[in-house]
Amino acid sequence: MKKTLSILFSLAALTSFGQNPAPAKPQTKAIALMGGVVHIGNGQVIPNGVVLFDKGVITNVVDGTTVRLNLNDVEVIDVSGKHVYPGFISPVSTVGLQETGAVRATVDKQEVGNLNPHIRALIAYNTDSEIIPTIRNNGVLFSQATPQGGTISGSSSVMMSDGWNWEDAVLKKDDGLWLNWPAYFSRDFNLEDFSTIVRKNERREAAIAALQATFADARAYAALTNPTPMNLKLEAMKGLFSGKQNLYIRANNGKDIIESVRFAKGAGVQKVVIVGGEDAHRAITFLKENNVPVILSEMHRLPAREDEDVDLPYRLPGLLQKAGILVGLSYADEWWRTRNLPFQAGTASGFGVADREEALKLVTSNTAKILGIDNLVGTLEKGKQATLFVSAGDALDMRTNVIEKVFIQGRKVDLDDRHKRLYRTYKDKYEQK
Amino acid sequence: MIKHFLTGLLTVSLAYGSLAQTTFPQNGVYDERPGLYAFTNATIVVDPQTTLQNATLLIRNGRIEAVGTNVSVPAGTVIADLKGKRIYPALIDIDSDYGMPEVTRGPGGGGRGAGAPQYESNKKGPYYWNQAIQPENEAGIIFKANAAKADELRKLGFGAVLVHPHDGIARGTGALVTLADDRENTLVLKPNATAHFSFSKGTSTQQYPNSMMGVVALLRQAMYDADWYKRAGSKEQANMSLDALNRIRSLPTIFEANDKLGIMRADKIGDEFGVQYIVRSTGDEYQMIDEVRKTGASLIVPLNFPQPYDVEDPWDADNVSLAELKHWEMAPSNAGRLAAANIPFAFTTAGLRNKTDFWPNLRKAIENGLPEQKALEALTTIPAKLIHAEDMLGSLQKGRVANFIITSGNLFSADNVIYESWTQGKQYIVTTKAPVDLRGSWALTIGDRSNLKLNITGKTPDKLDYQIVADTARITPKVAASGELISMQVQLNRRQPGTTRLTGYRTSPTEFKGDGEMPNGQIVQWSAVRTGDAPASTTATSTTATSSTSAMASTTATTPASSTATLLYPFVGMGNAQKPKAESVLIRNATVWTNEKDGVLSGADVLVTDGKISKVGKGLTAPAGVKEVDGTGKHLTNGIIDEHSHIALLSINEGGQSSSAEVRMSDVINPEDINIYRQLAGGVTASQLLHGSANSIGGQSALVKLKWGESPEGMLIKGADGFIKFALGENVKQSNYPNPNVLTRFPQSRMGVEQVYMDHFTRAKEYAKGWEVYNKLSAKEKATAMPPRRDIELDALAEILAAKRFITCHSYVQSEINMLLKVADSLGFKVNTFTHILEGYKLADKMAKHGVGGSSFADWWAYKMEVHDAIPYNAALMHRQGVVVSINSDDAEMARRLNQEAAKTVEYGGVSEEDAWKMVTLNPAKLLHLDTRLGSIRPGKDADLVLWNAHPLSIYARPEITMIEGATYFSLKDEDAKRDALHAERSRIIQKMLAAKASGASTVRPTFRRARMWHCEDIEGVMAEGEEEKAESK
Repeated sequence: MKKTLSILFSLAALTSFGQNPAPAKPQTKAIALMGGVVHIGNGQVIPNGVVLFDKGVITNVVDGTTVRLNLNDVEVIDVSGKHVYPGFISPVSTVGLQETGAVRATVDKQEVGNLNPHIRALIAYNTDSEIIPTIRNNGVLFSQATPQGGTISGSSSVMMSDGWNWEDAVLKKDDGLWLNWPAYFSRDFNLEDFSTIVRKNERREAAIAALQATFADARAYAALTNPTPMNLKLEAMKGLFSGKQNLYIRANNGKDIIESVRFAKGAGVQKVVIVGGEDAHRAITFLKENNVPVILSEMHRLPAREDEDVDLPYRLPGLLQKAGILVGLSYADEWWRTRNLPFQAGTASGFGVADREEALKLVTSNTAKILGIDNLVGTLEKGKQATLFVSAGDALDMRTNVIEKVFIQGRKVDLDDRHKRLYRTYKDKYEQK
Repeated sequence: MIKHFLTGLLTVSLAYGSLAQTTFPQNGVYDERPGLYAFTNATIVVDPQTTLQNATLLIRNGRIEAVGTNVSVPAGTVIADLKGKRIYPALIDIDSDYGMPEVTRGPGGGGRGAGAPQYESNKKGPYYWNQAIQPENEAGIIFKANAAKADELRKLGFGAVLVHPHDGIARGTGALVTLADDRENTLVLKPNATAHFSFSKGTSTQQYPNSMMGVVALLRQAMYDADWYKRAGSKEQANMSLDALNRIRSLPTIFEANDKLGIMRADKIGDEFGVQYIVRSTGDEYQMIDEVRKTGASLIVPLNFPQPYDVEDPWDADNVSLAELKHWEMAPSNAGRLAAANIPFAFTTAGLRNKTDFWPNLRKAIENGLPEQKALEALTTIPAKLIHAEDMLGSLQKGRVANFIITSGNLFSADNVIYESWTQGKQYIVTTKAPVDLRGSWALTIGDRSNLKLNITGKTPDKLDYQIVADTARITPKVAASGELISMQVQLNRRQPGTTRLTGYRTSPTEFKGDGEMPNGQIVQWSAVRTGDAPASTTATSTTATSSTSAMASTTATTPASSTATLLYPFVGMGNAQKPKAESVLIRNATVWTNEKDGVLSGADVLVTDGKISKVGKGLTAPAGVKEVDGTGKHLTNGIIDEHSHIALLSINEGGQSSSAEVRMSDVINPEDINIYRQLAGGVTASQLLHGSANSIGGQSALVKLKWGESPEGMLIKGADGFIKFALGENVKQSNYPNPNVLTRFPQSRMGVEQVYMDHFTRAKEYAKGWEVYNKLSAKEKATAMPPRRDIELDALAEILAAKRFITCHSYVQSEINMLLKVADSLGFKVNTFTHILEGYKLADKMAKHGVGGSSFADWWAYKMEVHDAIPYNAALMHRQGVVVSINSDDAEMARRLNQEAAKTVEYGGVSEEDAWKMVTLNPAKLLHLDTRLGSIRPGKDADLVLWNAHPLSIYARPEITMIEGATYFSLKDEDAKRDALHAERSRIIQKMLAAKASGASTVRPTFRRARMWHCEDIEGVMAEGEEEKAESK
């Protein structure tokens, strides 16, 4: 068995069945991870590195073959031959917002209404979700809790995968608003043969006009000093015009990408991110000229059209990255599959991203930059939070992704989860025979 | 009344009966006429092979009396001189809904979210249990003539049509009727001429069947029930439907298919019951013409060619697939290709957007390679022959019904004019024939203005253009010339505006005269006298209609691109111009994953000949002519086998009943699904195509190899064991339906699921016993014994009991898995495989004891309640208890990464890499009983091989070559060339389409149909969980 069960593991076995492990205790002593292959997350790698962190913050990252450190009062952990990574970031996520897809009572990802800028996803983020430990144990240590539905869905927040409650777990509150762009093509489901028919969306222009009015009102409202009456919806949009918040636009078609970005810039939005971007390769020049980053929808999808190259979804991150566009990967709302996010980066590397360190950026530093959390996380650099993990091998490949240690803000996290508990229970059953 | 070609008789088109006697009383004085007409000096096309010049056609009382060059015309005959004109047999359409009640579909039968589902027939009376089986309907009874619609068809040249109600799977009989205007008693030539079937359940609101394979099964069962009814059943019950099914067995039978695959599907049903169907096809037969020809079926072919797409915007145009572009280009060549392949066919006007498209489209077909003679056959002799009416219609021979048309010239010429349609000996004017040819130059005098010239021109004498030349001015008057009379309005003087109005009559073929009124009210006299031919330039075209000396050109002179355009196999952008062929190949110096005792060999060679692996070893020598592939640094493995797949299918669930053991997925294989190619690119070579999980007992699987470009039949693995899908849990008890209040289908709980099995297998046992007893009887005893009723559902279940069919059971929760094992043990059968089996780890010991395999997902969970306890360690735990474990996809996307999914069993639970690899190759082969032929690299096994660029369990691995039985179906290095060819072909056709649009063809917006991606969760009309949102966000 390659998933090494640490001491923490057997301790966890003593905890009552069916519960997540308790959040980890704050870091009390400096820790040095010695001799591992340190993947910085910015394209660099140190084959024999030392990662030193204290009070939840990285205090040094150095080449162990050339630099000597004073390790008095430091807990030294030998990770030679193993790999150290910054925690992976999963944007566009409903982890924590839904538990069991088919059970309505466990789903809190969408509010009624069309224009919901005031809706905040972090409120519903359930730190006790049993999904969270399972994604954490593959190296995904952050997820962006993201609302769905309507035209403006609400605001997202970046959450850590450990904490007693959402206030504890939040890394960045209300990082951006979510806009579902009225699509150029609409899709209709045909009951006769269960096919999908794509045609020009006749309601698009009216929908865009309504958005224009809302954004104009919001922009004007943002200039008021003491608005009375207070409008919660417009209040929630203020950050778009000051640059405090991103506007995440869900758009896939090439024309939707161009039109929506032009709309947002025209409306005075400071920071725009395209989410989805299935046809982003068509709009490369535009995206580059306008300096718009892209979070791609899940790569593990089929090409959008019959005649499209069979591997286009796999090659897309490479195509965009090569053109100099800032790209992040997501599992696009597929909460339980989020643990496979690292393997998407691996796939990107197998299909055209220059090398594995470049591919790694797709789930670390690139995403951190896009989400505006790169001052805190995304790379293993001095001054950043010590949210990182140790894997027995290459974490982008499921063959070697075996997570042995996880630190969130320097706190040692218990690696137990529901799946391991059930595994142990039934392994024991058969071994008793 | 217009006299037209008949001279010497004032009125001709009053009704008269062709019947010598009538059963109807007459209100007024009887008006029976001799009905004797002769058409002389005509070019008569007696049939497509025979044309007579200067011949006479004699008809009496609606029948042809004589035709020939030496016909003596008896006294009392009305004679029409047709010098320069032609006579053709009237055309026949044998797929018509003329005179049939309109088929209106109600709000479908209770899909998910709709009203309460209807499980039993709403049709009252002693009929079949299913509303879609209505062979008792008779077109001859419900037929009602419709003068306006008859006129529309006569104008196109048609004289008779075969009509039937287009509703249901068994639709009843068709009636052959003429398009004359008379009592139905006269019009119906043959009331029960044909029998009709289709793949559409039509207006039936009953739940079953709600899938294509269910349609096939229902029809097959009904046919077997009819056999039984004849032999024994009528003693037990009266059933008008089964009685009718037996009665119509001897009639020519027409099966309406919905696409080219339907032709093969229909023919297979016909073969089972010893019937050769005539198939109403859809115009795409050219795409699979070899397979179509092999069926031996005659076809009824529409002329509904696709419109060009609106492709100005290159991004929008991407939504139109190459297959759609090519079909637009090639559809007009369909008939020509059918003719060249010697497939007999008739044309129909059915399916045309407008009936008036008939002639332009038919001419387009001729321009695209269809010989005119074949076109005429397809509209006359062949349809007549197909419905056994060649003694009545289709040619102009003595004794036939007097259905013919009079034309200006060659029927197929663009400028041909159909003057008259004679239907059952009755005259119908199609184009009003001018009494004389007015074309020419006329000297016009109006009052004191005598220096005017009137030029009359036109392609035929019947459609004329008028122009007045006054000094140098050219004036276009408004003219109405009708028979002997003429009226004209003209603005003679531009300086004094006003209209001069003239009215007049013909005094001779060369003179008109009459009165007129000038703009100022002054009354004037006017006249026109013919002085000679009109200027040559405007009359030249008038002779082309009759310029061809032979009645028909035997071949077309030009061959446009559409008839030479290349096909693709399959007819999809990613299809191949040639079907891949097996080659002899030596793969050298690769890391070979044998799945045998030898394990993983490094630096090994594998020789492939005749589609098999012939040698495995080091330093093999390549026999002459063998292609060598360098495997250095690469990995060679078996092709991946997906135990649970729903790609390449037209339909997934027959959820209309709790058991649908009778349905066969082999009836709905779609060889054009692009996912076949995408999965080849992921190293998959064989799949079990499974029924869905909507009901406890699903349908029979199809085991296929992903032979991209082959027919459904060609994809099936020959000699494979039969399998069947079962399902447990939330889907079969309909837990996740949005409106639980309308659910009435048994079962709605796991308790009921057990009883479904107990009930069905108990019945199957009794059924098998019944046949066993009957089959043991002597011939003498059989003669008096009641034979059991053949039941194709119980047949499948009896096969399971006899270990001739094997179960793959969709399952999640341990309690229900345990239940099925107990049911199987108690009734004496085995479960072959549990699929999904996400709680298999909880009772892997019991599974091992029963000998059942587990085919699972690597890491799926959390999407519904019954996967709450699903863990990614499941495969490892089952594996260690001795269960044969495979990792499957159930998903078109994931199937192309099954190597990665197998690798997860290494991550979760520490399965060895070799064992992990077997979970997507050898183990599924074992579960499908194909491990003697597939699943390992050993001499003698099928050469279904994949050459990977890296360790096959690694995320960085991708197939460079995927081979099935020695033929290369995917080659990474050829992908660029394939892509370039695809783009070049797209551009070529798009340019052509732009030109077509510029020349005025109407276009359609590029809509874009994306075929359904199936998962076994999918129930009719329902999107899988989360799919709505995905669709919205795109």
